[in-house]
Amino acid sequence: MGILGLSKLIADIAPQAVKEMEIKNYFGRKIAIDASMSLYQFLIAVRSEGAQLVSVDGETTSHLMGTFYRSIRLIENGIKPVYVFDGKPPEMKSHQLNKRAERREEAEKELQKATEAGDQASIEKFNRRLVKVTRHHSEEAKELLKLMGIPVVDAPCEAEAQCAALVKSGKVFAAATEDMDALTFGAPVLLRHLTFSEARKMPVQEFHLDHVLQGLELNHDEFIDLCILLGCDYCGSIRGIGPKRAVELIRQHRTLDNVLRNIDTQKYTPPENWDYELARKLFIEPEVTDPKDIELKWSDPDEEGLVKFLCGDRQFNEERVRNGAKKLARARTGTTQGRLDGFFTITLSPNPKRKAEDDKKNAAKKKAKTSGGGRGRKPK
Amino acid sequence: MFEARLLRSSILKKVLEAIKDLLTQATFDCDDNGIQLQAMDNSHVSLVSLTLRADGFDKYRCDRNISMGMNLGSMSKILKCAGDKDTVTMKAQDNADTVTFVFESPNQEKVSDYEMKLMNLDLEHLGIPETEYSCTIRLPSAEFARICRDLSQFGESMVISCTKEGVKFSATGDIGSANIKLAQTASIDKEEEAVVIEMDEPVTLTFACQYLNYFTKATSLSPQVQLSMSADVPLVVEYRIQDIGHIRYYLAPKIEEDDS
Repeated sequence: MGILGLSKLIADIAPQAVKEMEIKNYFGRKIAIDASMSLYQFLIAVRSEGAQLVSVDGETTSHLMGTFYRSIRLIENGIKPVYVFDGKPPEMKSHQLNKRAERREEAEKELQKATEAGDQASIEKFNRRLVKVTRHHSEEAKELLKLMGIPVVDAPCEAEAQCAALVKSGKVFAAATEDMDALTFGAPVLLRHLTFSEARKMPVQEFHLDHVLQGLELNHDEFIDLCILLGCDYCGSIRGIGPKRAVELIRQHRTLDNVLRNIDTQKYTPPENWDYELARKLFIEPEVTDPKDIELKWSDPDEEGLVKFLCGDRQFNEERVRNGAKKLARARTGTTQGRLDGFFTITLSPNPKRKAEDDKKNAAKKKAKTSGGGRGRKPK
Repeated sequence: MFEARLLRSSILKKVLEAIKDLLTQATFDCDDNGIQLQAMDNSHVSLVSLTLRADGFDKYRCDRNISMGMNLGSMSKILKCAGDKDTVTMKAQDNADTVTFVFESPNQEKVSDYEMKLMNLDLEHLGIPETEYSCTIRLPSAEFARICRDLSQFGESMVISCTKEGVKFSATGDIGSANIKLAQTASIDKEEEAVVIEMDEPVTLTFACQYLNYFTKATSLSPQVQLSMSADVPLVVEYRIQDIGHIRYYLAPKIEEDDS
C-alpha cells in the first residue's frame, strides 16, 4: 500500500509541503478520487454496530452507502469529483498481492480461532482485515455514480497513476487518495483524508509535489528512487535502511544504482533479483489512458433511477435517497464562487532573509544530529 | 530599527477589526514609504490590501525593509489593551523575531508595552493589474454595511447591478427576494452622505454576502466607501483612511456553472 513511511518522512523533513485545509476550501475544484481506495475505506468504516450494512440477500452495501453520502458531501461543498477505478494490477505487484492474500488467510484462521473462543474484539478486528474490494463492489459503485451524474474513469492499470496523469494534464486540480504513490507517479497535488467521515473532523492534507522535492532537495527521478528504497508496491527494499538513511543515501549518491555501488552489500543485502529498474519504469511511464482521450462530464442525477437502485433490495431509506438526489440537483444549479488566483497571478515570495536564516538553523540542527548519531525523532 | 508612532491608537485598532475576521495571519511589509499588507483569505476568494503611508504617522523610521509576520488574533488582543486616546508605537529591531507595541496615555501617566512573537510566513503575493473599471460607485459606508446586512438575510449571494439609473443590490432565497435601489444624489450638500456613480458600461455581478459582511467591518474607518466593478473581474471595495492610507478588499465574483 503506497510508499512505506513517506508521509511521515515528508512531515519531518519537508513540513512546508503539507498544508491542512478544510474541505470547503476546495469549492469549484475538480478532483480525481482513487475509487478502490475509498471503496475500501467505506467497507471498513461504514458499519452499524460493527457489522457491514447488507441488502436483503446479505450482500454488502457499505460501499454504496459511503459512495452515495460522501460524494454528496463533496458536491455540496462545491467539489466536482471524478472516480478513477483500478484496472488490472501490474505484474510487478503480484508479489505484493500474494503477500496480501497470505495475510488474509492468516486473518481468516485467527478469525476462526476468535469465533471459537467467543472473543468479540478480535472477531471484529480480524473481520475488518478480511475486507476486500471485489470486482462486484466496483461495478455496483460505478453504476451508482453514473446514476448520480458523476463521471467515472476506468484506469487501464493502477488508479493512482491515472489520477496523477489527470492532475498533470490539468484536467483536475488534485488526486485524492491515501496512497502516497500518487506523488511518485508525479501528481503535482495530492489530497488525503478527503473522503473521510465528517464526524472525524479530520482536516484534508494537501501535499504539493514541488514543495516536497524542494524540501527533500531531490529532483523527481531521485524522488522515485527514494520511494523504491523506502519500499513500494512493486519490489522489495533493502533490509536495514530506514527512511532517514534512505534520504541521506539518495542525497549523497543521487541514483539508486550509485547507492548500490557504494553501500556495503554484505551488511545491507538487496533482495534477490531486485528489479528496481522495472519498478522505476513503472513509476515514470505507468500504463495510463491519455487524459486527452478522457472526457469528464457531470450531469443531473437520476432520482428515480437512484431510488430503484438503492431502495428495494438494498434497503436504503427512500426519503433519504430522494433528499440526496435533490441535494445533488440543487448543487448543479446556481453559481460557483470564483477564485482570485483565477484573475490575478500569484507570485510566491518567501521572505528571503528569514529563509536563509532558517536554512542555516536547519543545517546546524542536522549537524548536531548526525554527530550525536541520534536516532531521536525530530521534535515537533 | 523600525519604529512607527501614531497619536491615536484607534486607527490601528479599527484596521485590525477590519481584517482579523478575514485573515488569521498576515505579513506587514515595512519600508521607507510606509506599511503594506497584502493577504488572501484561506479559500483564495478575497484579498485584503492595506496601505499606511509613512507621512501619516507622527513618527516613522524604517532603516531597513522589514517584513513582520503576525498572528492577527494575537495582535488584536494586544490592541484591545490600548485606550482609544492612547498613543501607540510599534517597534522592532532589524532581524528581530518579536515586535513591541507601546501604549502611552495622553497625560503620559501610564505607559505599557507588549511584546509579540513574529511568525515566519511564506505568503502568496498576488500581482494585481492596473484596471480601468467600468463602474465606480461611492456611497456612505454605513449605508453599504446596512445593505449587506439586510440582504444577507435573504440569500447567500447578492447581485450588484449598476446602470445609468443607479445601482441595484438584490438577493433571492427561500423566504423571498429583496431589492434595494440607490439613485445618484441630485445635489451634493454633504459630501459624506452622497451617492456618486460613474459609469462607462452597465455591469451586473454576483457576490457572496458573507465576504461583503467581512469587508464592512471596516465601516468605522471611513464615512464613504467606493465600489469598483467591471464584467468578470473581482470587485474592489475601498475604504480611505483619512490622512494615512486605505484598505482595499478584492472579491472574486460568483460565476455561472459550466460542465466542461
